[in-house]
Amino acid sequence: MQFTLFVPGDSWMHRLDPMSKVLLTVIGLVCTFLLPGHLAPALLLAASLVLLASAGVLRRSTAVFAGVSLIAVTFFVVQGLVYAGNQHPALAIGPVTFYREGLLLGLRLTLRLYNILASSLILILTNRPSDLVESLMRRGLPSRFGYVIIAVLQIIPTMVEASARITDAQRSRGMETEGSLWVRLRAFIPLMGPLVTSSLIATEERALALEVRGFASNRRLTFLHEESIPGYAWPVRIAALAVLALGIAGRVMLS
Amino acid sequence: MATQRKNVWAFRFTTLSLVLIPVAVGINYVGKLFASALKLPLWLDSIGTVLAGMLAGPWIGAISGAVNNIIFGITADPVSFWYLITSIVIGLLVGYLAMTGWIRDFPRAVVLGLIVALAAAIVSTPINVFLWEGTTGNIWGDGLYTILRNGGTPIWIASFIDELVVDLLDKVATVVISFLIFKALPQRLTGLFAGQDQVERL
Repeated sequence: MQFTLFVPGDSWMHRLDPMSKVLLTVIGLVCTFLLPGHLAPALLLAASLVLLASAGVLRRSTAVFAGVSLIAVTFFVVQGLVYAGNQHPALAIGPVTFYREGLLLGLRLTLRLYNILASSLILILTNRPSDLVESLMRRGLPSRFGYVIIAVLQIIPTMVEASARITDAQRSRGMETEGSLWVRLRAFIPLMGPLVTSSLIATEERALALEVRGFASNRRLTFLHEESIPGYAWPVRIAALAVLALGIAGRVMLS
Repeated sequence: MATQRKNVWAFRFTTLSLVLIPVAVGINYVGKLFASALKLPLWLDSIGTVLAGMLAGPWIGAISGAVNNIIFGITADPVSFWYLITSIVIGLLVGYLAMTGWIRDFPRAVVLGLIVALAAAIVSTPINVFLWEGTTGNIWGDGLYTILRNGGTPIWIASFIDELVVDLLDKVATVVISFLIFKALPQRLTGLFAGQDQVERL
């Protein structure tokens, strides 16, 4: 059971260290809100897509993009109809009129949505989540907090398995999972209750196991793996910062 | 049982309460899974955060909410990261109100659900206005938003109502379900997280 979107691979982006990927994502997000108009955000989106394609994760990205296309449609419909700055009718379908200004705002919002997604996907699709946590722990993230995040990544697949077992067990006792809304809503408690109880009981055991292994100790931790930062990490970081500087300069000059 | 403690806001970062956080995030995730498997028109994706608040107080509730959105933000759903504050507020609020007697009986739990829904909508509205000019991406809420804006309602109020209609049922159901599960838990478990430090004394 995999709940993360991470795609294992060996592209240059996969080998890049997590902190550089965080930098790329953050700069992408900052530029999303920095760049004015339509052309500049469209270019930013194109740049992110090129990066995603070079990492070999374009197919998975497209699936994510398609998943939110309905939201993009609502941007065009809602803003095209009721945006406060609407003046010039652009398109009339029967009794409803869509306005030019609102449709352009819809386009801006859609570009914003896809820019946020594309920038984030660089990190999400090419970076193993536990590697990022390890990188952050090397840079001062408290190890207890690091444990919490890594534990979530391990616990979710376990709990999903448990939830399948509980569903089967309750069905075999005659619980109905189909029918009217009320029937289905009532089924929620016998499914969720045992899961909560069993996982809370497990936390007590886990806390004991952690204590026995020195979880609360304040000694400096060592790491199992060496951190590897490829030679091209710095050029990539500098290029990313240059893009940010360009974005800021463009914004300042235009305003 | 929860009101005997003196200071609701005291930090209690025991190993046990830290281990509760990943479980809370897992419960959030499975709650969402069950809700979609049962085809419920609700998300029910913050039951873990609410339970963590009820069990271990406002701080653990808030951290559970934060960790939840950070994890899904960096692994599966980039947009969830932007609603970090909403989750933190839910955990904090439920934790505080649960400790001060708001989950004593069923009617109070329903009121707690209404308070949480209201707070979640208040916190989410500025995020919606900043990111998407006020829409939420939910068809019913956005339909209402369109009608309200067409009638001349200011963007902030329309956006708030858009978010509230989406949150109201979901958050009340979330809190009521969490309350029912919480009440059914064995007392040994609820006492464990409520700061009696049993593990530490071993």
